[in-house]
Amino acid sequence: MPLFRKLLVANRGEIAVRIVRTCRVLGIPTVAVYSEADRHARHVREADEAVLIGPAEAAQSYLKVPAIVEAARRSGADAVHPGYGFLSQNGDFADAVREAGITFVGPPGDVHRRMGDKKAARRLMSAAGVPVLPGYDGDDQADLTLAAAAVRVGWPVMLKPARGGGGKGMRVVSREEDFLPALESARREARAAFGDDSMVLERYLERPRHVEVQVIADSEGQVLHLGERECSVQRRHQKVVEETPSPALDDTGRRSLCEAGKDAAEAAAYRNAGTVEFLLAPDGRFYFLEMNTRLQVEHPVTEAVTGLDLVRLQLEVAAGRPLPFAQDDLVRSGHALECRLYAEDPENDDLPSPGRVLHLQEPEGPGVRVDSGLAEGSEVSVHYDPLLAKVVTWGRDRPFAIERMRDALRQTVVLGVVTNLARLRAIVEHPAFLAGELHTGFIEEHLRELTPRPCPPLVAIAATAAALQTTRPAAGGASEEPAGDPWSALGGWRLGEAPR
Amino acid sequence: MFEPRVRQAGDGLEVTIGDRVLRLRLEPAGDGVFLVREASGSARRLHLARERDRLHLFWDGVVYTLTEEQEGARPTTRQDGGALEAPMPGRVAAVKVAPGQQVSRGDELLVVEAMKMENALRSPRDGRVRAVHAAVGEMVGPGRVLVELEP
Repeated sequence: MPLFRKLLVANRGEIAVRIVRTCRVLGIPTVAVYSEADRHARHVREADEAVLIGPAEAAQSYLKVPAIVEAARRSGADAVHPGYGFLSQNGDFADAVREAGITFVGPPGDVHRRMGDKKAARRLMSAAGVPVLPGYDGDDQADLTLAAAAVRVGWPVMLKPARGGGGKGMRVVSREEDFLPALESARREARAAFGDDSMVLERYLERPRHVEVQVIADSEGQVLHLGERECSVQRRHQKVVEETPSPALDDTGRRSLCEAGKDAAEAAAYRNAGTVEFLLAPDGRFYFLEMNTRLQVEHPVTEAVTGLDLVRLQLEVAAGRPLPFAQDDLVRSGHALECRLYAEDPENDDLPSPGRVLHLQEPEGPGVRVDSGLAEGSEVSVHYDPLLAKVVTWGRDRPFAIERMRDALRQTVVLGVVTNLARLRAIVEHPAFLAGELHTGFIEEHLRELTPRPCPPLVAIAATAAALQTTRPAAGGASEEPAGDPWSALGGWRLGEAPR
Repeated sequence: MFEPRVRQAGDGLEVTIGDRVLRLRLEPAGDGVFLVREASGSARRLHLARERDRLHLFWDGVVYTLTEEQEGARPTTRQDGGALEAPMPGRVAAVKVAPGQQVSRGDELLVVEAMKMENALRSPRDGRVRAVHAAVGEMVGPGRVLVELEP
């Protein structure tokens, strides 16, 4: 008996494809929603049905609560999975789905609202005995109040949107004179991304490690942790490489951290899957950062070492079933890594690089998993997040997982859209990465070595010219050389994108 | 700048680039994929995709992009330090300078929003702003000149 009659995936890209995959395994028919920009997207093709919900702009489509609820009702879906990003942590959306008599795969609205407000979350955690960073989480948001609080908290200070996530609207300020301009810019980005510009201030730790705990809770209130993940390799507060277990923790440290994650979930009266994020200081102390009330992008590494399907667990919990195992039953084995493939150009300051995927090859093999929203011909547009795919490898220990990742990245080919693939390869080949010397400033610290600017070897140019020659249309068409000339000129080619 | 010339040579191809001559054999291995055999006997895969004047190739784990130059064509708006172009498509979120204003290298001239992130575009050198060709809310494409500095 399938858990649900029909499930609507309120998302796009790789996570929508991934959710559809588990539903297929469980025999649950799926409905995809798509914007006009995603007509030919992979997630639309892989679901059983698809509903057009609006134009390209996210605000008119993937963020439009009434459009999505209507699509669910019309299609007869009795469950909605929100994925990550978009409406996944939006309490109003969770409520609207429930009010329509449909099961929302995730916690209820009030949990999203409580944990989505970083001010309230900090206060709740602090009261529950979960360590928090020195900071300011007051309701008074006047410029001068925040500026004075920053001075009290001590430099450097991190500005974070109270309703934010994914690094948007975040700024580190080291000097008093930079505070107000940073506040203005952060507020503008926060308003655009989250519709709210209230800020939390926290002391900025130097060289911290980002370590998070996966939790899951059923409707009977049983809370389990599923181990931790390290996500320290980041660029501008966006995660790039994640892994489990964290190379920084020994068994004792791991136990304390995971117990704190469980305490946090209990304090939040949490339901379904979530992640409690912490910063780990060089001295071994950890501090609560925030709780994400949804499935995380990097969940596949947890699945790799536990053998669990987190989306399946989410669906079972949402259907009212108790968690099928106890904390002591959890077994973790081996080491897993994930590299995020982004449509960004490391040779151009990691700026987003939209375009069309002309040619694609995804890696495969034992211990390799690829979660991807890409297909040949797909348009990568400016309207959405630049995450294209995740390459995940598992090995029985960290060095082997890394070797498999190196090979998998070498087998990954995306032509037509500039990606950060060269950056990913440089990261997993870097000696400091191998040594596990990670912290959130890792990419900045090694930026030059992690931004290769290769020149093609002459044989590659020759091979290209030869390939073009062999695929040219037959003579008599576009051919320009005089008849009888055995030489063919193919014009000139310049490395790089020419200015227009 | 590469100007390869290709000709048939026996059962393979001879490619001349400048004063270098390379001999290769090519076997198609799928859509846009070729197996390339060099004289030394080593074989590697080449992945190729073409879109208008752009050639994208993948060789030995790395992607390269080449742009075709037609004979006699001259590159148009080159970034010569006098004009700041939009490096990628996006929406102008803020314009921080006006014509006549003096700026220093590294100063924020404009903010463009794309893929939900804000990107500040900074002045490449000291100078005076000659013209601003962008307004808040405008969608801009790559290569569009946004700010001009006095030469």
